[in-house]
Amino acid sequence: MPVVRGSGFPNEGGRRDALHHRDRLRRQIHKHLTDNIGEEDIIEAGHSKRIRVPVRSTRRYQFIHDRELSGGVGQGDGEPGDQLGPPMEGEKPSEAGTNPGEEMVDIWLDMEEIEELLFSSLELPRLKPKKLMDVETTDIRFDDIARKGPQLDKRATLRKNLERNASKGEAGIGGIDKEDLRYLSYRDLPKPQSRAVVFCLMDVSASMDAHHKQIARLFFYWTVQFLRHKYHQVEVVFIAHHSTARECSEHEFFNSKESGGTKVSSAYTLAQQLQRQRYPEADYNIYLLHASDGDNIASDNPQVVALIKEFLPFASLVAYLEIRKQSVQAMMSGTSQGNLSKLFEKSASDLDGFMWTDAEDAKEIWPALKKFFARDDVLEAVQ
Amino acid sequence: MSSRYSLEDLQEVNERCLKIARELGLDPPETLFHLVSSEEIYDIAARGLPGRYSHWFFGQSYQLQKRQYDMGMSRIYELVINTRPAHAYLLEGNSLVAQTLVMAHVLAHVDFFQRSRYFSPADTNILPRVRHAAGRIHGYMEQYGREVVEDFIDHCEALAFQLPYEQLGGRPEPRRPQFTTEPFDDLFPEETGTRKEEIAARAANFKQHFPRQPERDVLKFIAEYAPQLEDWQRDIISIVRTETAYFVPQTRTQILNEGFAVYMHNQILQVLELDTDDFLEYQSMNAGVVTPQRGHPNPYSLGLVMWQEIARIADDPTDEERNKWPWAGEGEAMEKMKEIAEGYDDAAFLAEFLTPRVCELAQLYTWDIEAERRKKRAVISSREHEEILERMVAEHTNRGLPVIEIVDANALNRGELWMRHLHNGLGLDPEYATASLKHLVQLWGKPVVVESIEGREAETPLWYRAAPPGEEVEVVKEEPTTD
Repeated sequence: MPVVRGSGFPNEGGRRDALHHRDRLRRQIHKHLTDNIGEEDIIEAGHSKRIRVPVRSTRRYQFIHDRELSGGVGQGDGEPGDQLGPPMEGEKPSEAGTNPGEEMVDIWLDMEEIEELLFSSLELPRLKPKKLMDVETTDIRFDDIARKGPQLDKRATLRKNLERNASKGEAGIGGIDKEDLRYLSYRDLPKPQSRAVVFCLMDVSASMDAHHKQIARLFFYWTVQFLRHKYHQVEVVFIAHHSTARECSEHEFFNSKESGGTKVSSAYTLAQQLQRQRYPEADYNIYLLHASDGDNIASDNPQVVALIKEFLPFASLVAYLEIRKQSVQAMMSGTSQGNLSKLFEKSASDLDGFMWTDAEDAKEIWPALKKFFARDDVLEAVQ
Repeated sequence: MSSRYSLEDLQEVNERCLKIARELGLDPPETLFHLVSSEEIYDIAARGLPGRYSHWFFGQSYQLQKRQYDMGMSRIYELVINTRPAHAYLLEGNSLVAQTLVMAHVLAHVDFFQRSRYFSPADTNILPRVRHAAGRIHGYMEQYGREVVEDFIDHCEALAFQLPYEQLGGRPEPRRPQFTTEPFDDLFPEETGTRKEEIAARAANFKQHFPRQPERDVLKFIAEYAPQLEDWQRDIISIVRTETAYFVPQTRTQILNEGFAVYMHNQILQVLELDTDDFLEYQSMNAGVVTPQRGHPNPYSLGLVMWQEIARIADDPTDEERNKWPWAGEGEAMEKMKEIAEGYDDAAFLAEFLTPRVCELAQLYTWDIEAERRKKRAVISSREHEEILERMVAEHTNRGLPVIEIVDANALNRGELWMRHLHNGLGLDPEYATASLKHLVQLWGKPVVVESIEGREAETPLWYRAAPPGEEVEVVKEEPTTD
């Protein structure tokens, strides 16, 4: 028989199905992403870079014998007792595995895609509907007709001509006059725009170590990213405090370390001042985020509660993240809970709408975000 | 031979290989060779059959193989479809020596296909069927949504190899149990009485019991009896069964067939009188084909060693071998090999010819997983012939898969599907069993129970149970009776 060129089948099938597989994995990586939002390289990458997210390729299951017990047969050198491949945790080595086709697939995502995947399960909670619409900017639409302009609207011109002829008792189009000319024009449309301001409040006293700051940074980063995703314009104000508070740059915010006691109300007071001066609640959706290790002088506590209470009626969110200590002593004594969370627990009935939770490591940031930006089904049902 | 060649050159090489193959005593059926791009060859390799329906798992396998090819890690040496005429694929850009090797190898495969009785039930005109099935599945995807249909195919694929292993003869029809007398019944009246009662009880139960005898063809049973399936779903089950049936003889004779083809292509290429450069290229490719594998024996290398041993035993046996095989030392190696190719599957081939010498030549060992605190390691456990043999035969019996039978399709009188895993010393893999049960319950539409045993302990029974919608699988140590 002859040798022929081509299989006689369309040859794009493999590539097409590979894309389907990729899409499928993409949908499955949501979970993986939420476990990894604490990874520095995702944040560092910025918007231009693409990020590699390794995903375990989908397994195809069937009933098989217990892989732990079945063992196998192999070929090559070695004596009984010699190890094949590197030790593994939980999994069998790929070399000796029953699924040689299984591998890690690298899915490359840009920041926008990551955010899309992550944020699709978050919502802006407790929105006061007026707030989304409260800032009006203008949007230009070419849907008006004028007697002057750069672009002739032929249909409108003919219609005008017909009308004019009709008024003279003549049917039909003809004798187009300057009078008839109509031009396309634009008009300014009020367009609902939304903007938000985020106040990031953080304790920079000595008790906040590098670990605490890293968690705080990730928490602020993802919250701001999420809000940027939802609002057209997001401004961020950094307020660092120990016993006193000051507004500072992002760099200072994460890198300064100051001694002294901790007076949390100083930060809330400054946030309140700045909000009143620059970010009227009629123009801005206001987000107040606070991260700390939970320290505060006891005498300051009532003041903190009072200030939060003042924010609650108009702020879209007032949220506090307590970063738990990971020290051995804290674990042994079981007193890892900070003063502030104890305070908020006690004052819960007073602080309706205030959100707080805690996190011990980067993996717990996602659950925190999830809590703060939960879909607000319950509230909707009540309304 | 140069790296630039025309279709005519390939055809000429093919003619020469075919002539040599016939002189060796092979009888390859007609084979159409296609010279194709890497996209095409890896697409066909991923599907196993050209023109098969679209599914993500073909894409997964395509991606893997294509990437290895792009990185220069692997090249497919042969891809051949068991139809008449047979279709085989040559990768564009390979050297003429590589193409020669592939063509010689393929000719041996198609001879084997025609020779082996395990291929006699194979549908050798499957391609039009495959193409039509792909068209229908495409239609279902348009109508019901791609994901819905893909998921349904996943459910079927998970159970596709839950098949009766008997291929050559059917299973006997179930018959109502009947008491028949046996010698010396009169001497043991008590025992005979008990036996009579038991049989009477089974006979009384016979009519009500469904299925009448345990059923291993799981997908067939589901297609016939699952209460809630729609027509398109039953059609997909039948497509998956038909296409799986094509692969069954292939997996069952893999060591035999690959070893046979390597042995024969070596014979053919030796006769071809390649010049030195070409010969070296062929040798180095051949070394790649038969590279030993650490985790699982390379069927090309193990098969080749076994066939070489059979040829040696035919020509030049030891005394021991002479005693074992009456044909040993009579020459006629080729005739003996063809006879074995005709009648053996891998399990029988291994049971008879995986000798201590083969274990040594092929460098075989058994390995096991050792757990040391939380780390697990795969460790060479033995080089003893008996242990290797036992494990190899087990791995090639019933495709190395657990046998699970449907024992009751109306369990508890409410349509639950009860299955029993026939224990052979190994329990089910919990992760795989759980995931497979989720697929199964989607197909059956009512609760499904699989009775098994835990690990190696034949005394510790275990039940996997899932109910629609199948998101959870319970594993219990007591026989489930009620919810």
